[in-house]
Amino acid sequence: MRLKLQRLHSAPPWKAFAARVLSVLLALAVTALMMAMAGIDPIDLAAQVLSATFGSSFGLEDLGLLFSPLLFTGLAVAVGLRIGAWNIGAEGQFNIGALCAAGIALFVPGPDWALLPAMIAAGALGGALWILVPTLARAYADVSELITTLLLNFVALLLVYYVATGPWLDPSGRALATTARLPVRLPEVWGIVHWGLPIALGLAVVLAVIFSVTRWGYEVRMAGSNAGSARYAGMPVRRHLIAVMLLSGALAGLGGVMEVAGTVGRLQGGISNNYGYLGIMVAVLARAAPLGVIASAFLMAVILNGGIVMQTQGLTTNTVLAMTGLILLFAAIGDELAHYRLRRLEGRN
Amino acid sequence: MDIIAGLIQTAFLAGGVLALAALGEVLAERVGVVNLGVEGLMALGAVTGIAVVVATTTPWLGFLAALAVGLAVGMVFAFATVIIRANQVLSGLALTLIGTGMAATVGKAYSGTPAPAIFRPLDIPILSDLPFFGRAFFQHNILVYVIFLIVPLFLHWLMFRTRHGLNMRAVGENPAAADAAGLNVMAYRFWYTAIGAAMAAGSGAYLTLAFVPSWSEGVVAGRGWIAVALVIFAGFRPINAAGAALLFGFVTALGFVGQARNWPIAAPILSMLPYLGTIALIILPVIAWQRMRRMMAAPAALSTPYFRDTR
Repeated sequence: MRLKLQRLHSAPPWKAFAARVLSVLLALAVTALMMAMAGIDPIDLAAQVLSATFGSSFGLEDLGLLFSPLLFTGLAVAVGLRIGAWNIGAEGQFNIGALCAAGIALFVPGPDWALLPAMIAAGALGGALWILVPTLARAYADVSELITTLLLNFVALLLVYYVATGPWLDPSGRALATTARLPVRLPEVWGIVHWGLPIALGLAVVLAVIFSVTRWGYEVRMAGSNAGSARYAGMPVRRHLIAVMLLSGALAGLGGVMEVAGTVGRLQGGISNNYGYLGIMVAVLARAAPLGVIASAFLMAVILNGGIVMQTQGLTTNTVLAMTGLILLFAAIGDELAHYRLRRLEGRN
Repeated sequence: MDIIAGLIQTAFLAGGVLALAALGEVLAERVGVVNLGVEGLMALGAVTGIAVVVATTTPWLGFLAALAVGLAVGMVFAFATVIIRANQVLSGLALTLIGTGMAATVGKAYSGTPAPAIFRPLDIPILSDLPFFGRAFFQHNILVYVIFLIVPLFLHWLMFRTRHGLNMRAVGENPAAADAAGLNVMAYRFWYTAIGAAMAAGSGAYLTLAFVPSWSEGVVAGRGWIAVALVIFAGFRPINAAGAALLFGFVTALGFVGQARNWPIAAPILSMLPYLGTIALIILPVIAWQRMRRMMAAPAALSTPYFRDTR
């Protein structure tokens, strides 16, 4: 009897899931090891993180505030991955969404019930417009959307910074580098958790339904797994690609709207807080499944909330970013390894 | 005239960062591996450089240490992408997050401290006294000559004039054929990916030891991504990559002049120029010159892992 390593064409779902769980655990273990080497007790820190997050309603409310933007950016990246497009510009679209919403709130007079929908529409539209050029370049000239979407993040961050410290600077002179407080706020549903969270959860469910039961969702999935045969089968692959990428941008933009109108209340530089980049990990861990995004965004929110506790230990939120990268690296490796299985070969051959 | 000479001088200084990283990426991509971790590698190199120079006050040691860190991290990346054959895009993004996050965590202690010793400009005897040309071309720190002259010419010779270079390109174009011809595809891919990563980290050290020269969070500011984009624009050729980096150095230098001379454009808007310029540079040529596409095309097996048994 001999053993042979065999590579399967696609990884069985349970193995892919196990690989993801393992990658998270392994990344946590490596981070703990590095902290221990730096003289920080990781067990003690983990206990602090968990009690600070789940030990009080304040902790849970904070968690809710982090959960919502991660859902939006995670969904944005996941939707793109459905058709094989890497939107790593969610960070930028998030900023532009916040910018557009703040613009409406600050400069358009009107009652709240009219302004809020207008802000949401403007933010979604802004996010979609921000990804328009990379989308058209990918669809018509086959230019990889990876670099174009990413570079626009820097432009968006600079634009928000410029607007918040320049032309839209708080005229009262009390705030240093932000706009005035927005006159319109997203109402709260629980404690300080605003409507952004239920809206995001609802969107995840709606997207899950769209991708699993509609013809459009099916065609998008086909176009993503094999564009050539999808085209041969008569599916409008290019049109789907454009629609999906614009939807992805709009989702990230919506995240920005909720952040500026619900959580922060004014437009300031760095409002995106790396949510766009963390969304990549959220989407990858969820294997681009909208309902999976709920689980992975929650996990990411716990880790991110832990980052706030870590700051008391001299670590920064950047430590969380590094840990996210580790999870992603292990997930990439685990994904590939999940394709293999050991096969027993009976007798000689 | 003095302004133009100064512009060219700054263009070389600023372009050096992009050139070294882009040349490293050319190596990795020519053997078929896309490394999207350049941004993170540069951050790691930048913080390594400053940390070592604060301890030793010797810029060379800082630069060499950054190369070593880059090589080590690059070997981890190559292990994941070449040996395990994990998804290159995902692994590269992971490397960017790890590098950026770790560099910022480690670098907190060095934030804002200027480098105690830097690569200073060397005046080349006689030539540096020439009017105009002296200032533009012959008053640079030594790394500028290495990055713009020695490395691109050497890589061009290696890749297009030697048997070894032909093998390299074969591995990137058609690994199955290269394998059948007896080449060790994995070894080529592993080592050139690792060396490319070392060069990316080296460019980070150049940033903090010759160009800025200090560490602060976000000092890399997307230069790693611009370098990756330049490789596409340069058609995966070393001399073109150095030239493209110089062009970008020129755009950056123009922004500096604009700020120094109080052009009526806000500084953040001027800072957008390199990013917008990069996007234009990778989109416009594809649309404008359809015919050049084949000549400037990416290696055929780029970002495709090689499985021997499925050839």
